[in-house]
Order: sequence, then structure tokens, then C-alpha cells
Amino acid sequence: MNATAMAQPGSQTVQTEKTGGTRIELAGCTKTFPDGTRALLPFDLTINGGETLVLLGPSGCGKTTILRLIAGLEFPDAGGKITFGADDVTSQSIEKRRVGMVFQSYALFPNMTVAENVAYGLKVQKVERRERDERVRAMLEMMHIDMLADRRIDQLSGGQRQRVALARAIALRPRVLLLDEPLTALDAKLRVTLRTEINSLLRKLGITAIYVTHDQEEAMALGDRIVVMQKGAIAQIGTPREIYRAPRSPFVADFVGASNRLDGRIEQNSLVLGDIKIGLEQIGHAVEGGPNGHHDGNTGQGAADVYFRADGLAICTPDQGQMRGRVEAISYLGEKSRLTVSGIGESAITLDVDPDFQIAIGDDIHCRFNPERLTVFGRHSNARNAAQTM
Amino acid sequence: MALQNLGEGRSRPSFSRYFGMSRSAMASPATFMALMAPGVAIVAAFFLIPLVLVAMEVANGPDGWATYLVILTNARYFESLVQTLLMSAGVTVVALILCGIVGMFLVRNRFSGRSVLIGLLTLPLSFPGTVVGFMVIMLAGRQGAVGSISNALIGEKIVFAYEIAGLFIGYLYFSIPRVILAVMASAEKLDPQLEEAARSLGAPRWRVVRDVILPGLMPGLISSGAICFATAMGAFGTAFTLATDIDVLPMVIYTEFTRNANIAVAAALSIALGLITWLCLSAVRFLVGEKADLATRGGA
Amino acid sequence: MRRGGPFYAQLGLTVLLCLFIVVPIVMSALAGVTVNVFKGLSSGLTLRWIFEVWDLYAQSILLSLWLAVACLVVTTLAGVPLAYVLVRRPNRLTRMFEEILTLPVAIPGLALALALLITYGGFGSFRSSWVFILIGHVLFTMPFMVRSVAAVMSAMDMKTLEEGAASLGAGFWHRFLHVIVPNATPGILAGALMVVTLSIGEFNLTWMLHTPLTKTLPVGLADSYASMRLEIGSAYTLIFFVLIMPLLIAMQMLANPGKKRRAASQPAEDE
Ligand SMILES: Nc1ncnc2c1ncn2[C@@H]1O[C@H](COP(=O)(O)OP(=O)(O)O)[C@@H](O)[C@H]1O
Ligand SMILES: [Mg+2]
Repeated sequence: MNATAMAQPGSQTVQTEKTGGTRIELAGCTKTFPDGTRALLPFDLTINGGETLVLLGPSGCGKTTILRLIAGLEFPDAGGKITFGADDVTSQSIEKRRVGMVFQSYALFPNMTVAENVAYGLKVQKVERRERDERVRAMLEMMHIDMLADRRIDQLSGGQRQRVALARAIALRPRVLLLDEPLTALDAKLRVTLRTEINSLLRKLGITAIYVTHDQEEAMALGDRIVVMQKGAIAQIGTPREIYRAPRSPFVADFVGASNRLDGRIEQNSLVLGDIKIGLEQIGHAVEGGPNGHHDGNTGQGAADVYFRADGLAICTPDQGQMRGRVEAISYLGEKSRLTVSGIGESAITLDVDPDFQIAIGDDIHCRFNPERLTVFGRHSNARNAAQTM
Repeated sequence: MALQNLGEGRSRPSFSRYFGMSRSAMASPATFMALMAPGVAIVAAFFLIPLVLVAMEVANGPDGWATYLVILTNARYFESLVQTLLMSAGVTVVALILCGIVGMFLVRNRFSGRSVLIGLLTLPLSFPGTVVGFMVIMLAGRQGAVGSISNALIGEKIVFAYEIAGLFIGYLYFSIPRVILAVMASAEKLDPQLEEAARSLGAPRWRVVRDVILPGLMPGLISSGAICFATAMGAFGTAFTLATDIDVLPMVIYTEFTRNANIAVAAALSIALGLITWLCLSAVRFLVGEKADLATRGGA
Repeated sequence: MRRGGPFYAQLGLTVLLCLFIVVPIVMSALAGVTVNVFKGLSSGLTLRWIFEVWDLYAQSILLSLWLAVACLVVTTLAGVPLAYVLVRRPNRLTRMFEEILTLPVAIPGLALALALLITYGGFGSFRSSWVFILIGHVLFTMPFMVRSVAAVMSAMDMKTLEEGAASLGAGFWHRFLHVIVPNATPGILAGALMVVTLSIGEFNLTWMLHTPLTKTLPVGLADSYASMRLEIGSAYTLIFFVLIMPLLIAMQMLANPGKKRRAASQPAEDE
């Protein structure tokens, strides 16, 4: 109903402020590269102490650049300010910032063993030998790689390498852990395992973490909050539930997996799709005109985009059906079957059915909307305009 | 090996082992032989046979086969060998240091004029040794730039083209483009994130250089260093043009052969010189595991 | 990007090194067109020395060009099939041959020349013909052609290409000439530039192998440095630069488009 309604029944209250973690603030930051590329438009961002913030967006939208600003590998254009807790680190270089970094390509030192990699930061900080060995051992144990201590890097698998990279990054107890697509180079199954492990690790350490990914599922699984980015600007910040259920713009809706789109109209507080009329009050999430791009109760008129996932439509008997389509393709996915249906919108629509449901390609089916699961954007709403100028 | 051949029961075991297997899209053994024939013939007739003959020629020398040891037993030759070794090693070290810094800098920084600098630095890549020698004369000869500048500044013409310093400069001039290219090639393969990772762990600049950059560049430095060293050992054109009195080994060989008609000694010294450069390059290949890059070579 | 002291220190060193390389080149080029080097540029500019060099050394220059072309033909005809075999049939025998093939690059030219002289020096007419020098150049440049072609061949999936052609009924020689060679063109081109450049500049071998009637460009250069006035040597060097520069530029252009293509194929920005 209302985009800001985050406290849906049953939602967990997300605890964002934890003791121990450093609070990070970026204020008025912009980034223009020497070649003139404007990688980041002006933005403010606060990461609470101990929070895991996920930066989510397509390739090239500026996620890595934000991470590098926080790391001190890039510096914001004049006027930007970055603080770690009470420290203004804006002009501090990376060596002084005490950040832990984990890269997609692991960036492990190939001329050192696993243990030497993990010990490197401690050595640089002149931690004395006994304590250093002790801490390295503890780190390796925590990441379940203690048996690999004396291996060379080229003798490790991708997953093992990423564990070493994590151990190396947290060995120094950094103020913030920065992870740039750490799982992208791994295969799907390992990605899920490691994701779970990273999640519990971050909770255990209570460390402030910023995690970059372009994978919506990963973002949902790991983030206390998610920042969805689009072309150098922040499109939406919110908890995974907010982002999933209440996307603020068609871009966000599309990016978090609402892949079905229909053209509709809004007329007198109702959504009109062909000859179907659904009261706006029934719609799960509607964004219409108004100053913040939220539904402001005015009866906006005009074209609208309707987004929904495979659960936004349900098959029903012909007499209950709101519309009719034709099955073009069927993918059996185990716990469900996904149908590609034509004849409903301009492009094909996907919808899920019980895997045992008897149906064949070419069949006609009848279905009806599940209004709770629809997301509607007034075509001329600010949200859409904002998204376009971003 | 022998057992395997027996098992296969082929009539021409070695032949079919190397060129056999007439799988569908694979040329027949005879075709492979035909393809190789011209190259093999050239190499055999004009390289392998001469190599064997020159090795035998040594026996005709004053001391018979012992002529091979002349490079160690004759004080003049030995001194020349030591001098050539020292000189080549010196040039290699200086070239590696200079080109290491400059090559890394050119790879890691983008600024206007960068590609012009790279272009200029690699300009002498195909200059023969004689031209390099002439460049040294231009730089430090009697009419050279250094002389003119020093004349204007301190009223004295500094000329060092025709002594060992001139030869050193010439070898350096010759090596710089090659070593810079090699360093840049290996620097480009070096993941910049390794440096960033080290810095994020608090490593100051010099530690990043020592712990990350140098180990990463090492294979490239070793192989281009070896090429630089081997080339300097055999360089002849530069020394010839500068007409220095310095007895570097190639000059000694040349003198023995043309002036003294001492063919056996010249052959023995040539073989020794060839052996040294070949060993040097092979050792590197063994150490580094990859072939020292040919593309950056060419005789001085 | 922050540019502090270290950046400018390194830039300074780079520029210094650049000057070290460029100053003598510029000086020699200028000296080649100066009326009198000892008086300096104020004595005026002239093309007189260039013409004089042409009168004196046209033969050597033309012979060098001829040798380069001949060398290119031989190394291409013999080298491309060699590269194919080395890539397609990597085994102990071919690897050993490759090793022997590259030896002439590893050992000093002087030693190689000596071996050729000792073996074939007695065959008078052969010894005094340009073919004798050509052989030296071929030995020295062949590895560059083979390496360059082999690099391209191993980068392309030759097995699939060949099987594809074979499945269409192409016999070996047809495949070789119409599928393999055209696909290896970039390697052949790069190798060809290398061969021509090296052949034109080769001195160590040639100096030993040449006779008064078979002087090449670099031999003439050494001769002019030793016995002519500075202006003539400079003018000759200038001619050499002019000959060699297009080759160098072509080589750089051949090496660079690959880099640009790689950069362009990186994931495009979402519009
Ligand atoms: N050093 C740089 N110089 C110029 N442009 C850059 C540089 N680094 C990144 N960019 C540009 O900035 C934009 C954002 O890049 P990045 O932050 O790496 O995106 P992401 O990590 O989201 O894929 C891209 O358009 C990219 O091409
Ligand atoms: Mg990125």
C-alpha cells in the first residue's frame, strides 16, 4: 500500500546498531575520474556500527567506486567528507584507515604461504612474533583452513583462496570490512555455502561491513540493509524486505526480480488492465505521483507500469479467470514448474504452477491476479522521473 | 619406452610416435615431414654442420684440443673474459634498476604524454650496434652533447665515448628499450589489487615495493636481465664503432680471426662465448620456467 | 588521483632516460643536414651530405633492402610450416628442434659468422655472393618468424578449425593454404616486420660475412663512421632512421589495436 510501510506483519525488526562496530558516514560525496567519467553523483550514506550494508546494482553503476572511497583508494571530489566514527578520514590514505579488504580476484600474495598472507598485516604493524603466530592460528581455525597454513596460494581452490583472503582481512581487526563481489568467481554451490559462512562470521564479529554484489539473492541473504544503485546514484536504501516488497522505482523492481511487466492505467483510484479493474487499496505496493514518489492518496490518472513476480498471477478455473493466455514453454524446476505464457501482456509472462499440474505447451490457461503481489508505478510519478535522471 | 613400442608393434616406432596417428583432421606423418623439411635443411646445413666443424677446427690450434682452455690459461684472454663479464653484469644491473622504476611507473600511471614517452624510449629497438656506437659518439664524443654542455658550464670538454665508460653507455642505450618493454609486459600482468591489498593492511610504500611489486616483477626482471647480459656479452658493433682499446671478448675474437689469422683460438673463444650466453639464457628458462622473450632481442 | 613527490620523481627519471635516448638521435639527424658540424647549426642547413651518401653508398642501401626482402621470403616459406608443426605436434623431437632453431639468436653473431666462414669460406663464388649473407640473416631471423606465427597459431583453436574444414571435405593442403595460413596472418605480419627490421639492421654477422662487393647498409654505416667526416656518417644514419621508422611504427600499430579491442570488450555500461 504505502511504500514506507516496512513493519509488515511478521517482519523481524532489524537491529542495525551494534556495539563495537565503527559508524561510517559519507557526506556530500561525488566522484569524477580524471578522464571526466562521473562515476558517482552527489550522495550521502551512513553505515551504522556493526551493520552489514550491501551495495547492489548492475555492473558499472559505481559500487566499487563507493567501496574504494571508503577504503581510501580513491578520494571524493572537493566538498565530500568521510568519517569513521569521530575520525575525519577524508584525506587519510588507505594505510592509515585500518580497513580490511576482500577482492573478487582474492589478491593473495603469490610469493607467500597461506599463513604468511594472513600474518602480513600483523607483521607490518610490528605485532610481536608470539602474538602474531597465535592470532594467525586463530584466524585460520576460524576460517577452517588451519590445515592449509603452509600451502602456497597456487595450490588452493577458489573457495579456499577466498577464505584466506577473509582471514587476512580480519586478522588486523579492521574498523570496517570491505568486500567487493567476493563470491562472484566461485561456482554456484560454493557461493551459497560461503555466503552462509560469511553471514555468520560478520554477525559473530559484529564488525561494520560493506558488501558489494550484483546478485540480488546474495544481497538479500547478507544485508541488514541494501543500497540499490543505478548509474552512479542511489536508487533506494532499505532492508531486504523493503527492497523486495516495496521497490521505489521500476528499475529497482526489475532489478530485484519482478520480471513481469504489464502496461496499465490508473483511473479513479483503480488500476485498469484491459477490462480488469482492481482497487488501488488492494494493490500490494503502489507508487504514484507525489513529492517523494510515494502514493500520496491523490487520484493520479494516466498510464502505469505493473510489475510482478511469478507469484503475481495464479491459474484458476475459466469462470474465475480474469484473463486467458497460451502456454508457450514449460520448465520443470522440481518443487514447481515455471510457465511462459503469451497473450496476456505485450511480452511473455512467467508464472509458477504446481509441478504435478497437468498442462502442455499450446494449452490455453485462465488466471487471475494476486493484487497483494502487484507493484504499480504511475507512469508520470516522480519515482520514475527520478530514476530516469539518475 | 621400448616396451611401449613393442606393445604398439609398429614398424617404424620413433617415426610414428612423433608424427603418427592419422586421425581424421590430422595431416599424415609424411606431410609433417614435408612441412618441416625446408626449415630442417637450412638449420642442418648452415647451422649444425658449421657448428660441429668450428668445434673441430679448434683442434688444429697450436695446443690441439687444449686450445679450448686458452680462455682460462692465457692471461690476456682471461682478463678480457673477466672484463666482459663485469661490464655486462654492470650494464644489466643498471638497466634493470632504471627500467624497473620507469617501466613500473609507465604502467601504473596514466597522464598526457605517456604514450609519447613510451614511443621515444623504445625508439632504438632496432638500431644495430654500430648506430648505437654512433649515438654514444653524439652524446659523449669530441663533438658530443655532454662535451658542449660541460664546455659551456665549466670550460672543459668532457669526452668519454672512446673509453670503457662509452662502451658502458652504449650497452645501456641498447638495453633500455628492451628491458623497459619486458618490465612493462610483466608489470601489466601484475594485479594492481595486490598492491592495494598490501596497503590496506597498512604497508608503507617501500614495503609494498619490497613485498609485492619486486617479487611479482622478478620473473620478468630475471629473464630480461639474462637477455640483457647475454647481448652485452656478445655485443660487437658498438665496440667496433667506438674503436676502443678495451679488449671485450668479441673484439678479441675479431682481432684474433682477422688480424692474427689465429682461427683455432678465435673458434675456441667463440664457442666459449656462445656457451656462456646460451647457459645464461637456459639457466633463466630453468629458473623462471618461461622462455626468455625473444621479441626483445637483437644483436648489439 | 593524488600526485605527490614520488610521482614527480619517477616522472623526472623517465624524462631523463628519454632525453638520454632521444638527444643523440636528434643531434645526429641535425648533424646530417648541417653544413658544418664543427661550426654548428649557424653554418646553415643542407641536403648535400644526403646526396653524397647516396652517391657513395646507394649500392649498400639497395643491397640491404634486397636482402631484407629475400630473407622475408625464405623465412616465411620455411618458417610458417615449421610453426605449424611445432604447434600441432608438440613432442620431444619438435621441441628439441625448436631449441636448436633459436640457438643462433642466443649465441653471439660473431661466433655464428665464424662457423659459417670456416665451413663455407672456401667456396669462392658462394663466399662472395650476397646469398652467403642471406644465409646468416635467415638463421638469425627465422626464430622470430616462427615464434611470432606459432604464438598466433596456439592462440587460435586450430584443432577445431581444421576439423571443421576437414568435415567439409577439405584435404590437408587446401586446409593449410585456405584456413590455417589466412588465420595466422597477424602472426605472419608481425613476424615479417620483425624479420625485415632485423635484417636491415644486422651488423655482427654481416660484418664478418661481407666482401667489398657485398656491403650492406650497416656495414656501410660502420665504414662511414670510421672513415668519413661526421656529417656524412650523420646523414647516412638519418637515412637509416627514415628507412626503419615506418617499420617501427607499423610494429607498434600492430601491437596496439589488440589492447584497444580488449578494453572495448569490457562490459559496457548500462545505459
Ligand atoms: N579509474 C577510472 N577511471 C575512469 N573511469 C572509471 C575508473 N574506475 C571506474 N570508472 C568508471 O566508473 C563507473 C563505475 O565503476 P565501478 O564503480 O567500478 O562500477 P561497479 O563496481 O558498480 O561495476 C564505470 O562507468 C567505470 O567505467
Ligand atoms: Mg565492481
